[in-house]
Amino acid sequence: MNGLPFFDYLSAYRDQIILRTEQHFQFSAYVIVGAVVIGLLIAVLTYQSGIRGNFAISTAAIAFTLPAVALFGFLVSVFGQSLFGAVYPPVVLYALLPVLRNGIVGLQSADPAVIDAARGMGVGPWRMLWQIRFPIAWPLILAGIRVSAQLAVGIFAIGAFVVDVGLGTYGFEALDNLGSVNTGNEAIVCIVFVALVALVFDAFFVIVRYFTTPRGSRA
Amino acid sequence: MPENQPPASAATDAQPGVPIELSQVTKIYPGQDTPAVEAIDMHIPAGELVAFVGPSGCGKTTTMRMINRLIRPSSGTITIGGEDVAGLDDVTLRRRIGYVIQQIGLIPHLSIASNVALVPRLLKWDKKRIDKRVDEMLEVVGLEPGQYRNRYPRQLSGGQQQRVGVARALAADPPIMLMDEPFGAVDPITRGRLQDEFLSLQQQLGKTIVFVTHDFDEALKLGDRIAVLRQRSVIAQFDTPEAILANPADDFVRGFIGEGAALKRLHFERVDSLDLGGGGEDGPDSVDVSSSLHAALDLMVGKGLRSVSVHRDGRPAGHVDVASILARAHRDPDAVEAR
Ligand SMILES: Nc1ncnc2c1ncn2[C@@H]1O[C@H](COP(=O)(O)OP(=O)(O)OP(=O)(O)O)[C@@H](O)[C@H]1O
Ligand SMILES: [Mg+2]
Repeated sequence: MNGLPFFDYLSAYRDQIILRTEQHFQFSAYVIVGAVVIGLLIAVLTYQSGIRGNFAISTAAIAFTLPAVALFGFLVSVFGQSLFGAVYPPVVLYALLPVLRNGIVGLQSADPAVIDAARGMGVGPWRMLWQIRFPIAWPLILAGIRVSAQLAVGIFAIGAFVVDVGLGTYGFEALDNLGSVNTGNEAIVCIVFVALVALVFDAFFVIVRYFTTPRGSRA
Repeated sequence: MPENQPPASAATDAQPGVPIELSQVTKIYPGQDTPAVEAIDMHIPAGELVAFVGPSGCGKTTTMRMINRLIRPSSGTITIGGEDVAGLDDVTLRRRIGYVIQQIGLIPHLSIASNVALVPRLLKWDKKRIDKRVDEMLEVVGLEPGQYRNRYPRQLSGGQQQRVGVARALAADPPIMLMDEPFGAVDPITRGRLQDEFLSLQQQLGKTIVFVTHDFDEALKLGDRIAVLRQRSVIAQFDTPEAILANPADDFVRGFIGEGAALKRLHFERVDSLDLGGGGEDGPDSVDVSSSLHAALDLMVGKGLRSVSVHRDGRPAGHVDVASILARAHRDPDAVEAR
């Protein structure tokens, strides 16, 4: 019953672990990009009206509370074991809430006097959005993206329930082989490497924040 | 443009003001049954500063914001230099009208220089011209460019921010300025200083300015003309400060002038409007012939004197005494009753 010591396990399955870590990293990145694009698009379309903005946030919040495993199961029953049908859409949905919410709140957060003065001097609607509202919202939006990224990485692991990709596979293998020799190693690999991927994303956004926050917006 | 112009050129080369004409302008806000502004007619002459005063909610801001179409009139027409503003593209129109508000509204993530450069950038001036203009404007409003250019709004005091607000509004040299209680949020001393500086700037620039204020004394000090407005922006009186002080149209206007109308009038009368008696010996305290009677009286009251000598070009030119100033103040019984 004695499995391999953890570090021996690592070296024995080195190539596979690297592959799955790369997959996890890559597919989480797709999810983050998807969530950011969709989230900001909805934010831009809804921020101007308090009602529409709140509606968008509430909808995303309700989606967020759906049990992940049930949603995966449901989508598999519709699309089969498809990465694009049953894995990306739900993970993007879960990652949507923080970036959407912060996007809407951020775009609404500009001081009305700033907007009024700019409008009064001939700043048009597009320029107002991209050159005034968006930069003012940026620190908040970026904070939302960071949380979304963490969710994407964590929830993508559950996607291995559907398709054998990414580090979640180790978690499900551990559950499938409860009591077998490498259960502990599989679970630990899953936890440690998912955390590592999450940390890499977070570090990336810290760097982005440093280089994109204008001095006037730093506290 | 010649190279290395002194900063003062920002003022002397300025584009002069153009007249504004409001005719039968009405604004009814949606869901409101009484108009916020009702059928106002007003001619604002080119190069003059017209101060709007009136009680809170009477429609000053609404009237002003219809000029740059931040608010659309429900009916009536507004022309600028003879051109109907409704026929112009809003954005183009607004780039030709300076706009200053009490809350200033500097863009927080942009440097002071970029804030001042806002409209020149929108107008696609080339970078060198913009940089030069920014420095000129900062100097015009009394901020040393080297020190302030690269700061951010939050690193400035309220008074300094409002100087930047004025510089930003003037940067593209618009013929018209709209100012909504621009000095309302600073302490009285800073306000007085901003008013003095703005007054001397306007004397060089000659813009057409609509200046909204709650403060009648500010209107007296800055206005070439004052429009005293009642509810719904109905004009109670529209005249020069002197004429309003001398002949308030009714009790409403009198109420606005407040206490001390007779004394306030003395601000508008120069010492040499009185008979100075010529020559005479020179006392230790003197006023210039161009001083106001108010300043002369203030000096006498302060020093406990009955008269002071008057100088013209630094040489004694006669005397002015308390009795003759009092006689002048009493000239128009209306002005005294106004208390
Ligand atoms: N957006 C709006 N919708 C409905 N009513 C409005 C709106 N803006 C102003 N009003 C009303 O129109 C009237 C005139 O308002 P306005 O802001 O022009 O007054 P004001 O003279 O500038 O007042 P203050 O001195 O307090 O700034 C007020 O009764 C106000 O309640
Ligand atoms: Mg107002």
